[in-house]
Amino acid sequence: MKLHFADYLIISVYFLFVIGVGFIIKKRIKSSNDFLNSNRSIPLWITSLAFISANLGAQEVLGMVASGAKYGIMTVHFYWVGAIFAMVFLGVFMMPFYYGSRARSVPEYLSLRFDEKTRGLNAITFAVMTVFSSGISLYALAKLLEVILYWDFDVSIAIAAGIVMIYTFLGGLTSAVYNEVLQFFLIVLGLSPLVIVALHDAGGWQNIKAQLSPEMTHAWKYMGDTKSNPMGLHFMSLIFGLGFVMSFGYWCTDFLVVQRAMIAKNMNAAQRTPIIAAIPKMFMPLIVVLPGIIAIALMQPALASKGFQIPTNSNGQLDYTMTLPSLIAHYYPTGLLGVGITALIASFMSGMAGNVTAFNSVFTYDIYQSYFVKNRSDKHYLMVGKMATVFGILFSIITAYIAKSFNNINDFLQLVFSFVNGPLFATFLLGMFWKRTTGHGAFWGLLAGTAAAALTYGLTVAEGKGGWIANVYEVRSGMGQAFIVAGISWTANFVTTILVSLATKPKPEMELKGLVYSLTDKPVYHQNKWYLKIVPLSIILIIITILLNILFF
Amino acid sequence: MIKRFNELSFVIGLFFFILSLILLAGYLFSIQLADTLNLYTGIALSVFGVLMMIVKSNDDK
Repeated sequence: MKLHFADYLIISVYFLFVIGVGFIIKKRIKSSNDFLNSNRSIPLWITSLAFISANLGAQEVLGMVASGAKYGIMTVHFYWVGAIFAMVFLGVFMMPFYYGSRARSVPEYLSLRFDEKTRGLNAITFAVMTVFSSGISLYALAKLLEVILYWDFDVSIAIAAGIVMIYTFLGGLTSAVYNEVLQFFLIVLGLSPLVIVALHDAGGWQNIKAQLSPEMTHAWKYMGDTKSNPMGLHFMSLIFGLGFVMSFGYWCTDFLVVQRAMIAKNMNAAQRTPIIAAIPKMFMPLIVVLPGIIAIALMQPALASKGFQIPTNSNGQLDYTMTLPSLIAHYYPTGLLGVGITALIASFMSGMAGNVTAFNSVFTYDIYQSYFVKNRSDKHYLMVGKMATVFGILFSIITAYIAKSFNNINDFLQLVFSFVNGPLFATFLLGMFWKRTTGHGAFWGLLAGTAAAALTYGLTVAEGKGGWIANVYEVRSGMGQAFIVAGISWTANFVTTILVSLATKPKPEMELKGLVYSLTDKPVYHQNKWYLKIVPLSIILIIITILLNILFF
Repeated sequence: MIKRFNELSFVIGLFFFILSLILLAGYLFSIQLADTLNLYTGIALSVFGVLMMIVKSNDDK
């Protein structure tokens, strides 16, 4: 793939704009609250788009296209089984606690609801994970640019990290959120022409269905038997592992995304943020799953004349990660190629900036202010937040180089993240809806869940991975293994939290008001218009999601 | 006009309008960019860009 002047010009304009946004926002930053929390003043349309854009990083864009090519339309389950229901649940049931408690972060909510040790455990693991995630994003971007454009790895790292550092340092969370919205439109509008042209070239959806085996174009029909579908999953494992544990764990407890809703102007806007975000999210498979299915259809004998091929890796197997870049290279002419590459760069930078801004909030509020230096001036914490941004990016750069030196470190880190994140939702679910849950129960439940995840991974094998203790059970796909690990770790956390809570003393009810469902006054709204009401909007979204599942059954 | 740079919708609109100008100018004046895909995308992006610049969000301050 070779870029020309027009392509470089488009990439330069993008860099200029994202830095420009940082300078515009800089004038508004007066306090640590402005820098780390946007002073809870961001309009609904921005928080909603930033909410999904924070998740529209490299793993999402490249990974979902790759999964579309590998597993077919079953990949839409990440949206139509996973994301939408979890986002609605967050908006309707959980945001009142996050927003209403006035907690500045998810770990701070844990401190209010449980105790300091549970907050500390969550804050430290989250801070470490965000820095590593940011570094992996950076590594993946530099590696991709090195492979497809032959750009120097070090130069790509320096430019990408430098630009993210400038705009996050200048404008903090607001700057990151504003750029996420710009990046959202860039990714959607930059990749839409690709979908249209490639779909047309493949002869439309009906022809794609005719070319591919039926399990690649049916989302549910072949999930009754693990041997009949490309993921090797039974529908019950999918619904519990992905639909419940993993999706709810991510969308409802990961501060990276929840933070975008917590900076809304008021409770109603905070609740509607994930619900409004669910509308474009519902249609994201058109941009990030469909291209993968089209790509695999274009490689079938009847469409071989189109000349498209997914590259192979050193083992001679299809390198699915390269599906999207190879589609862009195949279809985009000079000019639009610049737009497509900029969209890819935007997705990486969006992921990195999201992690860095979540890291600096958690580090400043939940680690530095809570355990090291209390009761200092706001100016001091603003300075610490800015320094945390710089160090977060420097650690990300170090992680990117570690990832470059050790081929398998990405897989390893992603695995460790899943061990920590998988069981987390059980802690929140019990904490918010069962007033008897205690701090000791939450803490030991989290540890038990993480240990169960590691143990399950050690006893199962999928695609040659796992089984470091013994090969007790073989799973057909890595994704299927991840769902099983998540399901077991969640159950271990859930059971342990209940047992330990029953054996320990709960907090007095007075201290739990605004933190637990049964002890909190439900928010009352007076909107007349249906689209301003939380519950009717949520019901409509769920009905549309169910219809989409039926349509592609 | 300068004040409108404080509105995110205006900034996003301007960004896509500039992108569309590059694609459309390239289509008209450069052999390398003379591809109908650049033309159609340029038109679509310019429409989106202008709409975003015109739309004034009251709470986007």
